[in-house]
Amino acid sequence: MITNRQRALRRLRHNPIAVIGGLMVISVILAAIFAPFVAPFPSHAGAVVDFRHRHAPPDALHWMGTDNVGRDILSRVIFGYRVSLTLVAGVLGVAMPFGVILGMAAGYFRGRTEFIIMRLTDIMLAMPPLVMALAITAILTPDLGNAMIAITALWWTWHCRLIYRVTSAIVTEDFIEAARLSGASHTHILLREILPNCMAAISVKTTLDAGFVILFGATLSFLGLGVQPPTPDLGTMVSTGAQFLPDQWWEAVMPGLGVLYAILGFNLLGDGLRDMLDVEIG
Amino acid sequence: MTALLEIDNLSVGFTRDGETTDVVRDLSMRVEQGARVAVIGESGSGKTVTMKTILGTLPPNGRVLGGAIRFDGQDLLTLAPRDRDRLKGTDISIIHQDPLAAFNPVFRIGTQMDDVLRYADARLGQPSSAADRGDRITTVLRQVQLQDPARVRHSYPFELSGGMRQRVLIGMALLHRPKLLIADEPGTALDVTTQDEILRLLDDLVAAQNLTLVLVTHNLAVVRQNADYVYVMQHGRLMEHGLVRQVFDAPQSTYTRQLIAAIPPLYGAGVTAQSGRGTAKLIELAAAAKHFAAPKRWFAKPPPSVMAVRDVSLVINRGDCFGIAGESGSGKTTVARMIMGLLAATAGKVEIGGRDIASLRRDPAFRRRIQMVYQNPASSLNPKRTVAQMLAVPLAFAGDTAHPRRVAELLAQVELPPEFARRYPHELSGGQKQRVAIARALAVRPEILVLDEPTSALDVSVQKTIVDLLLSLREQLDLTYVFISHDLSLMRNFCNRIAVMWRGMLAEQGQTDDVFDRPVHPYTRALIAAVPVLTEAEAARKPQITLAERRAVLASTVE
Repeated sequence: MITNRQRALRRLRHNPIAVIGGLMVISVILAAIFAPFVAPFPSHAGAVVDFRHRHAPPDALHWMGTDNVGRDILSRVIFGYRVSLTLVAGVLGVAMPFGVILGMAAGYFRGRTEFIIMRLTDIMLAMPPLVMALAITAILTPDLGNAMIAITALWWTWHCRLIYRVTSAIVTEDFIEAARLSGASHTHILLREILPNCMAAISVKTTLDAGFVILFGATLSFLGLGVQPPTPDLGTMVSTGAQFLPDQWWEAVMPGLGVLYAILGFNLLGDGLRDMLDVEIG
Repeated sequence: MTALLEIDNLSVGFTRDGETTDVVRDLSMRVEQGARVAVIGESGSGKTVTMKTILGTLPPNGRVLGGAIRFDGQDLLTLAPRDRDRLKGTDISIIHQDPLAAFNPVFRIGTQMDDVLRYADARLGQPSSAADRGDRITTVLRQVQLQDPARVRHSYPFELSGGMRQRVLIGMALLHRPKLLIADEPGTALDVTTQDEILRLLDDLVAAQNLTLVLVTHNLAVVRQNADYVYVMQHGRLMEHGLVRQVFDAPQSTYTRQLIAAIPPLYGAGVTAQSGRGTAKLIELAAAAKHFAAPKRWFAKPPPSVMAVRDVSLVINRGDCFGIAGESGSGKTTVARMIMGLLAATAGKVEIGGRDIASLRRDPAFRRRIQMVYQNPASSLNPKRTVAQMLAVPLAFAGDTAHPRRVAELLAQVELPPEFARRYPHELSGGQKQRVAIARALAVRPEILVLDEPTSALDVSVQKTIVDLLLSLREQLDLTYVFISHDLSLMRNFCNRIAVMWRGMLAEQGQTDDVFDRPVHPYTRALIAAVPVLTEAEAARKPQITLAERRAVLASTVE
């Protein structure tokens, strides 16, 4: 007899893309956690100025070159991951459970509950996300916390829709009625019968979303609405570096590659998980 | 006689997650020109895989590991892909099992048939005109006895009944006058009367056009009616082969013997008649009816409601095993759900133990008295919960505190070892899953079990073990069964009383023996007559009814 876990591991081995994605994600996470030890110039994460080395192209000392005040870009990218991952954790940590709970409630209770939740979702989805985020961060002060609030306010809708669809399919299965007939409460049915069957979809969706949250966060800070200097942020770095294109191309391109690396990692891992867990994501 | 199809020591394997398992092993088979050959086996026997290998439609992870297939003098496995494609749908044709899944829902039947024909003609290098193809399609639709070919051609798949779709599929397979016709479980998805029509049609066509037929099925009775030679497969191996009569009269392998023994007889000495236990009334339906209101529409008059069940009156006594028989759409499941209190009757009354069910529906004490076992254990067991977890819910509901002991007790009752408590549904076979579902229903110590086709998703040999288990549980626990089924042979051996439903009404009810020996209602007679049976003796004792009579009954409007 072969267990689910063994089967999943075996599928993982036959899915090198997912393994590569997983390694990329792990490298990003480890780099962020141990940034002070990994970064070649940890002090460059702050307001340091080294005009002797400003605008230095990539070389053996500065693998990604230096920026307009002479700070090592690689070090700042590594510290930038801290901001990105904090954003991911904050946004998905709130949006995901919120969306999952609402989606399950809508799919399970149907009727008026379903109508209210799903129409609210439709309304939220009809708003252009960037404009919404701009509005929210403009009203509040632009910083990491508010960027997080802005993104979260929009993000839960996607989880809600997905889980609503998964739940609607599960409630038609006989085991839900059987549970009800054998005296199970709504809470039991939602948490013990339905939720475990949503976990595959949730984990794939969350992994794929992590990349998109990083991208969205970078977009906001590119527009000056996210993390404020001198805290290193990938979006801000691209935006600053863009002033020096095309001559000092590395100042925009390198942080851009940093964003790309992280997003690609999450996407590859998410796709791999989807194949492994055999789930459909809208 | 020359062999049209010859299979020598064929082995086929499937690779999954880096591991290859062989699903067909050393299979040899010989189909002569003009023969009617059946391949019989239960799920996992490799019969469908063999057919796919012949057609060259194995999925990408399937691979031929050895052996040879010769068709009409050519070696199919070494043939160039182009030449092989040329045979598909022309010299070798298949009738698919599922009459709905075989069609693309967004195209008209005529268009889909025309596509098949046009591509086949192109493959053969004989391009044809649209008018010519239209004529050929009309001819073939007439051959499969569809009354109005023009209308069928202009219909979308959903506009046709299951029987009509199956006829179209047969027609599609015949478009190119195949030398070899493979029929994969023809009519299995259909009602018994429709299945009988389809099988007769197939037989007539094979005789009229002198086709060579390979019939793939799990149903022994169908083999007896529609084939002359049979191959019996199990776990990818050939167990036995021979003339149908010889194999049925004197089976050589134990497996074939088991298979034949597992089939409940309709008539004769083999029937195990069940008896009731007194006349204490437990469940009563009096003129019960159920209408389903169509959903409300905006800005339009609401469509009329659907009468699922009307005027059903029946009494089920304590200790009865009461069968409700009927084809799809007859209302049998609606009646069962009314008895369960899952649906409220629109009119009339439903009483359990003398109390109206409307007042009982929300009463937990009542919920514990009546439980249900579902048709498909794959859907009725939560894939993410272990057996012990599944049993814990009803045990808590029944106020049982000594869980581990009761879990073991319940598993023992359904004849499963106690270690199974830790297993997940995917670690269980179909029969074992259904045993767990029964254990879950028994956990609250109910007095009534509603069994909704509890064995129809299982193989025949497994079906027998589940039926035997249910019969012994009825003795031990003094249970009353309401048994919903379309399988009359099974009900004959399982129920002491039976009600036949037709179009939402009771056609007939009575003691099982009476209903089978002296059916009164014309529909009951038609239904019993359509049941495929294993022996001539049984066929002779079925109600004798001509095809024309049956069609008249089925086409009649409500009296």
